[in-house]
Amino acid sequence: MSPALLELRDVSKVFGETVALAPTTLSIDDGSFVAIVGPSGCGKSTMFNVIAGLLAPDGGEVRLRDQLVTGATGHVGYMLQKDLLVPWRTVEDNITMAKRLTGRVTGPDRAEARRVARAYGLGEFLRHYPSALSGGMRQRVAFMRTLVTHQSLLLLDEPFGALDAQTRLEMQQWLLQVWKDTERTVLFITHDVDESIFLSDRVLVMSPRPGRVVADFVNPLARPRTVDTLTDPAFVDMKSRIMHLLHGGAS
Amino acid sequence: MSVAGVGGFGLGRPRARRTAERASRKVARNVGVPLLSIVLLLAVWQGIVVFFHVAPYIAPRPRAAILAVTQNWSTLWPLVLGTIRETVYGFVIGAALGLSLGVIMAKVPVLQRLVYPVLVLSQAVPIIALAAPLVLILGFSVTPKVVIVAWIVFFPVTVNVLDGLSHVDQDLLNLARVYGAPRWRTFLQIEIPATATPLFSGLKIGATYAVTGAIIGELAASDGSSLALYQEHANSNLNTAAVYGTTMLMTAIGISWFLLVVGAEVYATPWQRRTVARRTWRRAGGESDG
Repeated sequence: MSPALLELRDVSKVFGETVALAPTTLSIDDGSFVAIVGPSGCGKSTMFNVIAGLLAPDGGEVRLRDQLVTGATGHVGYMLQKDLLVPWRTVEDNITMAKRLTGRVTGPDRAEARRVARAYGLGEFLRHYPSALSGGMRQRVAFMRTLVTHQSLLLLDEPFGALDAQTRLEMQQWLLQVWKDTERTVLFITHDVDESIFLSDRVLVMSPRPGRVVADFVNPLARPRTVDTLTDPAFVDMKSRIMHLLHGGAS
Repeated sequence: MSVAGVGGFGLGRPRARRTAERASRKVARNVGVPLLSIVLLLAVWQGIVVFFHVAPYIAPRPRAAILAVTQNWSTLWPLVLGTIRETVYGFVIGAALGLSLGVIMAKVPVLQRLVYPVLVLSQAVPIIALAAPLVLILGFSVTPKVVIVAWIVFFPVTVNVLDGLSHVDQDLLNLARVYGAPRWRTFLQIEIPATATPLFSGLKIGATYAVTGAIIGELAASDGSSLALYQEHANSNLNTAAVYGTTMLMTAIGISWFLLVVGAEVYATPWQRRTVARRTWRRAGGESDG
């Protein structure tokens, strides 16, 4: 059993009258892929922002490799539904953006950016501006930018939410491939129950008012995941249980 | 490589490279059409003067106005240089002041609330009314003209920079924070480049008004030799062709300065028009790695 990479202990956040996140305790294994699914307002993005250090929690602590990082930044990779590529930089310079924002971009940094881009099919577009790329390509660049920060923990907040269904399926398979190659730990927020099961080792289901984790499923599906995974009885069973939790039906 | 083929999913096609043919059509559209509109304007002018038998002392034909400029070029050229100098100095000072004010006001909200009304007030003052006290204070030198130009130019720059800086994507700023970026680096690497487009909008507005400011300054504060006074003399001598010719000259200075600013924008913001970065913008030794 791998040791815990990330631990939340009684982490909570209140905005005015609203309990955005009730005291939450969580442990995320090193190298695992954990999906978080839940409706709007269930506190999943709040949880992400607390882990990333953008929000200070009202209570509790965040530990990364047993180091206290509550309210501190600079220790996770972070990616949103919006690709947030800067239009004035080329693909290569967007990939190295974190380095440019925290120090100098060195020759090896640029070489790594080019290597990653070539490995994942964007080698031809290194000198292009983001405006020349399709939505799926832009999200891949955004993910590469997240990868080269060399953080063990990647927080992905609905990264494929704005893509069409076809592109989304391609991106999911691509993400699993990269995850396997690079041995990172992924926390993945989504609205999409299918996506949460297809990608993960474990699914956390969250519910609003107050925002909290209401269920924690270990995903029994074998890897690698393929199109057949989507019709596997274990997949359908897990989907049914999550859907009941989310939509209030008796399970 | 274990991931060979991952890129082959066909995630949409990038925009096609601009072909030479499309580029030349673009030049024709961007240069040819504006030139045609100037020719048309001159033709309409000629047509009106001829058709309505307008007396030459009320409106000359375009050819006469142009000749009035070319035949007196040796007298006019130093005056043109003077107007250009006032315009450029005033523009540069106004742009620098406008940019600094925009940045400071965006970063210090209290100052923004305090200074903004004063800035609006400064633009509500009729420039002509401002010229007289400026001459009393600064004399007949180049300085009062430069001050008037800067006075006109800084405002659209400040307003646009302020607007641009307050509309930088908050998620992008948060991303920089997650990376652990210090605020000054975020400012230089994200906020300033994100403001390039509104900054150039302000500069272009300023450029169109800059010559007007210089001419107003010359009218109010010239000790004898200036383009504006040359026109006044021509007017009092009923030399209408020279009046029109001087106006055309002033307009030409304004248009040239505007086009120069547009050129600077095209050069400074290549991502607005290009798909692929220019070679000079690429990093040295960019092609070699493992």
